[in-house]
Amino acid sequence: MAKVIQHQLFYPHPPQLVWDYLTKPELMAQWLMQGNIQPVVGHEFTLTAKPMPEMEFDGTFYCKVLEVEPFTKLSYTWQFGPGDGSLYDSTVNWSLTEKDNGTELLLTHNGFETLVNMALFNSMQAGWLQHITKILTILNTEKNGTTPA
Amino acid sequence: MLHLLSKDSLTINALAENFDMSRPAVSKHVKALHNAGFISIQDLGRERHCILKQDGFKALQKWLEYYDQFWGDKLNALGALMDKHHKK
Repeated sequence: MAKVIQHQLFYPHPPQLVWDYLTKPELMAQWLMQGNIQPVVGHEFTLTAKPMPEMEFDGTFYCKVLEVEPFTKLSYTWQFGPGDGSLYDSTVNWSLTEKDNGTELLLTHNGFETLVNMALFNSMQAGWLQHITKILTILNTEKNGTTPA
Repeated sequence: MLHLLSKDSLTINALAENFDMSRPAVSKHVKALHNAGFISIQDLGRERHCILKQDGFKALQKWLEYYDQFWGDKLNALGALMDKHHKK
C-alpha cells in the first residue's frame, strides 16, 4: 500500500495567486478549512473540520509550518487524533511550478509513520511482542534516516 | 505490555503488577505507547484503563483512502474557485 498521497494539478493562474489561496486564512477557508495559517516557519495553527467518530477523529488538524519558499514551496506538519491527547503524525507539502502561463501544483501528503508503526505492531505475532523494545529502536532509527546495522 | 493488553484492557495498576518496574516507570511506558497511538486510555471511575488499539492496518488504510479522496475534492474546489473569481 502506498503510504504517500500525491496529487498534481494544473491551474491556469499564476503561482502568486495559488500561493495566496494556500497561505491566506480568508482565502484558504473558501476551499480547504478555517484556520489561522501564516507562511512563517515555526508558526502553529489548527484547521477545523467535522469530527468523524468512525475514524476516531475529533475534527481538529494540528499544524506547524516547516518550510516556506514564497510562491514555490510550503510544508507543514499535519497531526490528527481522537481527541484524547494522542496524535497521528503526517506532513503536507506543497510545490508550485510556473508553467504554460499557469501553475503546476503538486501536493504530497506523507510521513504517516505513527499510523504505519501502529499497523506493524498490530500485525505482529505475540512472540514478537516480547522483543518490542528492540523493534521500537529499529523503527525509530529508520525514521531518523539511518539504516540499522 | 502490548501483549498483555492484546488479551484484555487493564488498569495501569494491574499492568504494573506484571512488571518488575516502579509504578512511575510503568506510567512512563504507558504514556509513550499512548503518544505513539498504540493504546487509548479511558478514565473509568477512579481508574485509568489502557486499551490496545486494534486493526492498525484498517486504520492506516482508512486514513490513506480518506486523504486521497479529500485532497482530490479540495484541489478541484480550489481550481473552480480561482476560475470563478479570477480571469484566466
